[in-house]
Amino acid sequence: MSTTSVRAGTRTPQKQIGPRWLSNVLAKYIMAFTGIVFGVFVLVHMFGNLKVYLGPEHFNDYALWLRTLLEPLLPYEGFLWLFRLFLLACLAGHVYCAWVISARAKARRGKFARKGLHGFSSFTARTMPVTGIVLLLFIIFHLLDLTAGIGVATENFQHGSEAGSFAYQNLIASFSRPAVAIFYLLAMVILFLHLAHGLYATVNDFGITLGQKARSTVMLLSGLFALVVMLGNITIPIAVLTGLVS
Amino acid sequence: MADINISYGEDISGHVPEGDPATAWERRRDDYKLVSPLNRRKFKVIVVGTGLAGAGCAAALGELGYNVSSYTFHDSSRRAHSVAAQGGINSARARKVDNDSIHRFVKDTVKGGDFRGREADAFRLAEESVRVIDHMNGIGAPFAREYGGELTTRSFGGVQVSRTYYTRGQTGQQLQVSAHRALQRQVAAGTVNLHTHEEMLDLIVKDGRAVGIVTRNLRTGKISAETAHAVVLATGGYGNVFHKSTLAKNSNCTAAWRAHRRGAYFASPAYIQFHPTALPISSKFQSKTTLMSESLRNDGRIWVPLTAGDTRAANDIPENERDYYLERKYPAFANLTPRDIASRAAREQIEAGHGVGPLKNSVYLDFRDAKERLGVKVLDERYGNLFEMYRDATGEDPHEVPMRIAPGAHFAMGGLWTDYDQMSNIPGLFVGGEAGWAYHGANRLGANSLLSACVDGWFTLPYSVPHYLAEHLGEAPVDVADDVVVQTLADVQERIDRLMNIRGTVPTDHFHARLGEILYEGCGVSRNDSKLRRAIEEIRELRDEFYRELFVPGTGEQFNQELERAGRVEDYLELAELMCVDALDRKESAGAHFREEFQTDDGEAQRNDEEWCFVSAWEMGPDYSHIRHAEPLTFEAIELQTRNYK
Amino acid sequence: MRLTIEVWRQENPDVPGFFEEHAIEGAQEEMSLLELIDYLNDHLVSEGREPIAYDSDCREGICGTCGITVNDQPHGPVPNTPSCRQHLRSFKDGQKLRLEPLRSAAFPVIRDLVVDRSAMDRVIQAGGFVAVDAGTAADADSMQIGHGRAEKALDFAACIGCGACIAACPNGAANLFAGSVLNHLSTLPQGKPERSKRARSIIQEIDESFGPCSVYGECAVTCPAGIPLSAIAAVNRERARAALRRGKDD
Repeated sequence: MSTTSVRAGTRTPQKQIGPRWLSNVLAKYIMAFTGIVFGVFVLVHMFGNLKVYLGPEHFNDYALWLRTLLEPLLPYEGFLWLFRLFLLACLAGHVYCAWVISARAKARRGKFARKGLHGFSSFTARTMPVTGIVLLLFIIFHLLDLTAGIGVATENFQHGSEAGSFAYQNLIASFSRPAVAIFYLLAMVILFLHLAHGLYATVNDFGITLGQKARSTVMLLSGLFALVVMLGNITIPIAVLTGLVS
Repeated sequence: MADINISYGEDISGHVPEGDPATAWERRRDDYKLVSPLNRRKFKVIVVGTGLAGAGCAAALGELGYNVSSYTFHDSSRRAHSVAAQGGINSARARKVDNDSIHRFVKDTVKGGDFRGREADAFRLAEESVRVIDHMNGIGAPFAREYGGELTTRSFGGVQVSRTYYTRGQTGQQLQVSAHRALQRQVAAGTVNLHTHEEMLDLIVKDGRAVGIVTRNLRTGKISAETAHAVVLATGGYGNVFHKSTLAKNSNCTAAWRAHRRGAYFASPAYIQFHPTALPISSKFQSKTTLMSESLRNDGRIWVPLTAGDTRAANDIPENERDYYLERKYPAFANLTPRDIASRAAREQIEAGHGVGPLKNSVYLDFRDAKERLGVKVLDERYGNLFEMYRDATGEDPHEVPMRIAPGAHFAMGGLWTDYDQMSNIPGLFVGGEAGWAYHGANRLGANSLLSACVDGWFTLPYSVPHYLAEHLGEAPVDVADDVVVQTLADVQERIDRLMNIRGTVPTDHFHARLGEILYEGCGVSRNDSKLRRAIEEIRELRDEFYRELFVPGTGEQFNQELERAGRVEDYLELAELMCVDALDRKESAGAHFREEFQTDDGEAQRNDEEWCFVSAWEMGPDYSHIRHAEPLTFEAIELQTRNYK
Repeated sequence: MRLTIEVWRQENPDVPGFFEEHAIEGAQEEMSLLELIDYLNDHLVSEGREPIAYDSDCREGICGTCGITVNDQPHGPVPNTPSCRQHLRSFKDGQKLRLEPLRSAAFPVIRDLVVDRSAMDRVIQAGGFVAVDAGTAADADSMQIGHGRAEKALDFAACIGCGACIAACPNGAANLFAGSVLNHLSTLPQGKPERSKRARSIIQEIDESFGPCSVYGECAVTCPAGIPLSAIAAVNRERARAALRRGKDD
């Protein structure tokens, strides 16, 4: 006569969140890969943004160059659209996996949330979903404001064409609204928090096993990278608000 | 004075094959009957305990294809107390040129045990020790390695060669976890049915054979029975009877004791090893004494102040005012004398007023010289986690001030009596590891306990249990509706009800603590007739009080840790008396059993081979009477001699 | 010392729990956290009440049986130290201690502070072993393992299986635990023949009961065995490696 369970306890059936094939490790790999794409993108984007200090011509030419890149191999805006599609796919993957991971984390932790976390790393980790949502809203705002020119954009938004770009004018006009400038500024702080943890976690997610020292170095480098992106971008709304750039 | 009722039963045989003990194991194995692979799953074997011996035995039998039912009262098979052994595991691999050999291993073990163990057992231990290292390494234990990639060894107390294999200060943990994983592999394969949180409370005996066990589910309180073709007990030692011991809080003698109550003989209960390097008691709330690995004695030097009652700080006492008493009294082995000698020497120093620390109940273990010789880095590599543990417990840093150590109850050499096949006097009841009595005689050598558990579990029981099973091919296990099963279930229920219904006012632990005090005083490092008689009287009074005043809250049908403890202490109260009776009965000093009446002029233990060269195996008589059987011991390969570590 | 204890009481897995408050007089700094509960329990039982159920065994920090959440910290306030080795000297006189079980959906409460951690044994059953039968292993000396490699394996093999890493993780992830098993065995030649097979099955199993890792690092801060945080990366590494070795066991 047998008394208790055969195998170590019985597993309480868990509600499947997301598809079965999307394992936690795969989800993390997708997030890490797309995260790196965004990390590189925001850095290059920041360098592009900084051309604002070289004056309207440089800035608008840069904007036009992006649209005419790889012409005539690709039509006007061809590269830009391919790139946008690629980014959109990355974004979809990143956001979906983030949702799956958050939902699974919540379910597997149970009803007693962990409190009393240690240090900066835990703070940024815990706030990833929040900062992520804010960034997602920011991206939508940013696209409407300075790419699509609808809704939240300024009234005198000018669309660019093969003849030339008005990116500089649009930017100045948008940032001249203090509330918008401050929103951009705050968004960059949020981006910093998101990137600092995201990049650090990426190394881990790719399965790179590091010792204590190397791990601290990676954390520092991720922080520095995020800091550079944040500071570079933050100068622009400040410069516009203070009239340094107009 | 207490009325002690001892009678003498007939002599018993250990069934050791005739002839040269060095080849006995090989010859015995050749004689064992086999069970064909197709018939194995028809046999059910119950293995109680999942320590090194139990997990090993269950896994090995599972691997062979038997239908195994494994029990542990823990929540997981990894927790058994084998996990806490720190120092290492001996093996007579003899790869070095320090002139080790099987013969030397046996000699050290038999001599270390003061010639009160079976010589042929020690040969088996030595012979199988070679495979034990291979196997434990094979299943993933990361033994310490030399820079050249080979296994490294260190030396241990009572031995002049280096044959102890280790993994830092956590050898037991690594071996235990490896065995646990091997067991879990069999659980996954479906050959082992593992019952966690299930405590054995009785043995079912039918027609003189062990046919099953009764257990209580610790979560639900449900009492149930399982029957099988054979039962293996690997339930550990009873050192916790001393309350403040180096054992885990839940370690207990209940399974073994209940088997004893059903007729299994209990061998040498008086042989208890006091570990010389335990942490001293420093407050009355301290729940146990913590073990510091004996390996510390490799590099640490033990001393006390030359002047009794010296109150200076250790580092303020100059070299010429320190008494390195082990180095002085035992120059050949010095700080590495066997445990019993080191413990007794420490006790003597403490009793003579040389004890150190706030309660004057400890001696120093000093690493100052080792630090100079080896440097902090090497020292930390060898003992890092032990130092940390010490710092943690005491708030003192052993790099800066000497450690303080004191003897603490540690290992039970005694246990259920078994023959050479590890089978008790009840056919079908096998015993492995510390729950049994084998190998160690009156004193166990350091690093031989992990070994004996591994040898029993992996390389003895898997041979000897099938030999027994082969006789019973075609028989089904006893029906659980059988009268004997029903009766045993009822007995267990009655015991529980009895404890629950005392409804006194005193919590279990009070009785346990008092029992420990009685035993340390009466049946401790050194014993004498009057101390033992007094102890027996006090134990009996305490037992009466227990049945009058005990309070167990809650009910028996729930997770009830007080009830678990009460049942265990109830058994301790009986065991303690038997320990004292055995100590009183054995009128000689041997190993850890030091009778003050029997010592040489210079205070060493005096054995009496003329009259006492046998193992006492106790049978429980009616009304707490005791019947002693004797298994005579003969020594052919190792000549009987007085232990001399000078 | 005077302390106030707010302790989680829960009769059995099927009823809700609640916090119960006790004022304790006469506690001493050198008492361990578990000895404090013993002390309180002694009072409770003497008063005819039911004691607080909690798990503990060796009290030397090696068996992994104990584990109590103290003021939100699994095992207690001192990092990398098991409950049995946490002493009251970490607390101030008059302080309030909130004692809870190790929290995770994978660890249902059995009673009061005792939880069911069998989900961890299922991870071992899935493949946390070396499939070598008794007596069949090769000569241990014929297998050369460098000193450093053996030490590294031991750094990960040191896991005591207490489950605090899981309770410390805001996601309820078991990556430090699973990673320690994977890293220990993949570092040693013994574990190589079934390395990929083991990675696949263990990682599939942790997905069943435990959460995903977000690299909080809380596990390594809590771990009483000091398992390095790199264990969690080992989970991803081993899984990716196994994916690249599709159809192979090693």
